[in-house]
Amino acid sequence: MTVVRASAIGIGLVAAVLIVVLATGESGTHRMTAHLVGQPAPSIAGTTIDGDHWDLDDQRGRWVVVNFFSTTCIPCVREHPELVAFHEAHREGDGARVVSVAFDDRASAVEAFFRERGGDWPVLANATGGIAVDWGVVAVPESYVVAPSGHVVAKVVGGVDHEGLDLLLDRARAG
Amino acid sequence: MNRSVLHSTVRFAWVAIVLVVIASLAIAVTADRPALTSADRVRQLTEDFACPVCAGQSLAESDAAVARTIRATISTLVDEGADDNEVRSLLVTRFGADIEYNPSGSGVISLVWILPVVVGGVAVGLLALAVRRWQGLAPVRSVPRRPSFLIGVTVLSVLAGLLLAGTVGSRRGGSALSGDLRASTRTLLVDASVAPIAEAIGLYDQVLELQPSNVEALAYRGWAAWRGGEVDQARTDFDNAVTFDPAYPDVRVFRASQRLSEADPAAAAEDLMVLDGLAAPPVVGDLVAASRLRERVASELARLGEVVAALELLDSGLASLDVSDPGGIAAALWAHRGWILATTGDQGLAELSLVSLDEAVAADRSNPYALAYRAVVRVAILGQRETGLLDAEAFAALADQPPELRGLLVARGLLPDKEN
Repeated sequence: MTVVRASAIGIGLVAAVLIVVLATGESGTHRMTAHLVGQPAPSIAGTTIDGDHWDLDDQRGRWVVVNFFSTTCIPCVREHPELVAFHEAHREGDGARVVSVAFDDRASAVEAFFRERGGDWPVLANATGGIAVDWGVVAVPESYVVAPSGHVVAKVVGGVDHEGLDLLLDRARAG
Repeated sequence: MNRSVLHSTVRFAWVAIVLVVIASLAIAVTADRPALTSADRVRQLTEDFACPVCAGQSLAESDAAVARTIRATISTLVDEGADDNEVRSLLVTRFGADIEYNPSGSGVISLVWILPVVVGGVAVGLLALAVRRWQGLAPVRSVPRRPSFLIGVTVLSVLAGLLLAGTVGSRRGGSALSGDLRASTRTLLVDASVAPIAEAIGLYDQVLELQPSNVEALAYRGWAAWRGGEVDQARTDFDNAVTFDPAYPDVRVFRASQRLSEADPAAAAEDLMVLDGLAAPPVVGDLVAASRLRERVASELARLGEVVAALELLDSGLASLDVSDPGGIAAALWAHRGWILATTGDQGLAELSLVSLDEAVAADRSNPYALAYRAVVRVAILGQRETGLLDAEAFAALADQPPELRGLLVARGLLPDKEN
């Protein structure tokens, strides 16, 4: 066997292995999100648009829905009434809380958004970039359910609805 | 020069070339570099990471919200004293290993580091072999020619290359075999602005895939769709653009034009009056003026009996003009204001119209609308034939005579009909 022929066979084998590996591999884009579910929730603390201090650590013992949103995203606008309904339904009952974190948005726009569309839960809109990065948010809306223990138990990419959030909470409570 | 001397010279040349290359690489790698500023470090770091949603763009290149957010976070971290490894570690922890453009040295990805070395070694070996053959130092052996074998190896290599290109760097694999490297949204928008309608819509689609709430893309895709006859698509895009950014001036102009065409001048006037309250760039005002959109909306309102609304629209336009207007736009608006008053059929309003028309001529003495409308009002409504004819003569001296105005003056007997 000549050196040239041996080299050609070697390159061919390497190419064949690459084809198999790469063709069956997972797309990089889809993997580019952190999987927080099951891990302790990253910190969320700051001043709300109402001027109050809010800290996720103070919510230990409660279920919390953390919602990342933007006033300029269509699914966020569409999911908002569902969040309002969820908040109203849980306000007095089991004490599940909602907190919204604005993503790449202006505080004034966020204030106007809530003024026009309702919702009186805590909303963080200033200097929230670090929070979004800590949570690995890549596109809004994204929502997370945080258990009373402070661990993330569910993640929803895209808009949420009242019924779906209730279902997530029921499943999480059931363990 | 005999053969052995020639061989020695060639060998010496090769050794010299190899030494120079090695020395150059060593100097380049070990040379002292000036200390990086924080801004330099942030720029380098953002170039080393992929935008998580953009496919094919680095954090530094991308306009996506997440890229802006991560860039700001990196900047904050660097300012707070974090070293590069801490930043890398945070981003990889939060967004996964694929966000990093410099592949890790473990797993399948390690092939990216190993393969170039292997291929380089094989290439050098083959090159050495070829050189020896050329020099006649190695026995020439016939290589069996098997086309099917060579074709198979070539096909496999090409496929491997395409798959590698489509995977490495987290490009989106589904769109193109070569990995679909994308341009930035800014580049796409610029390209779309000069593309034919169908192609422009495709480019705006690409922008909106990356940034679903990009108002510029929504507005201009709607405009392209409108020009292409896709009315429903246009209406949806305009409405979405206004929802996302009520202060984006371009879409107000587009939607006003669409609404006027759909026989809804009141809604069109609403958009134009919102536009008047915005800090729109002068080009937008020029666009409205050149298309006489405001005047057409006002005329339609007046035709429907909404004279007050028509006047309010024109007054809003006049109030929004700044000092940079040399008078042309103001003259056109004053002239139209006067014309609407004059054509109400009310003698009192017709007399009042002259005030507006005088303002129009004062703003721009060569405005054809101002001169033509004042000529008609003076002669046909107020009976001031002498002064009216002077305005008509001034109009006739203009280089730019809009045909509809010339027709109006001819019909009123204020200008001779050139065709007769």
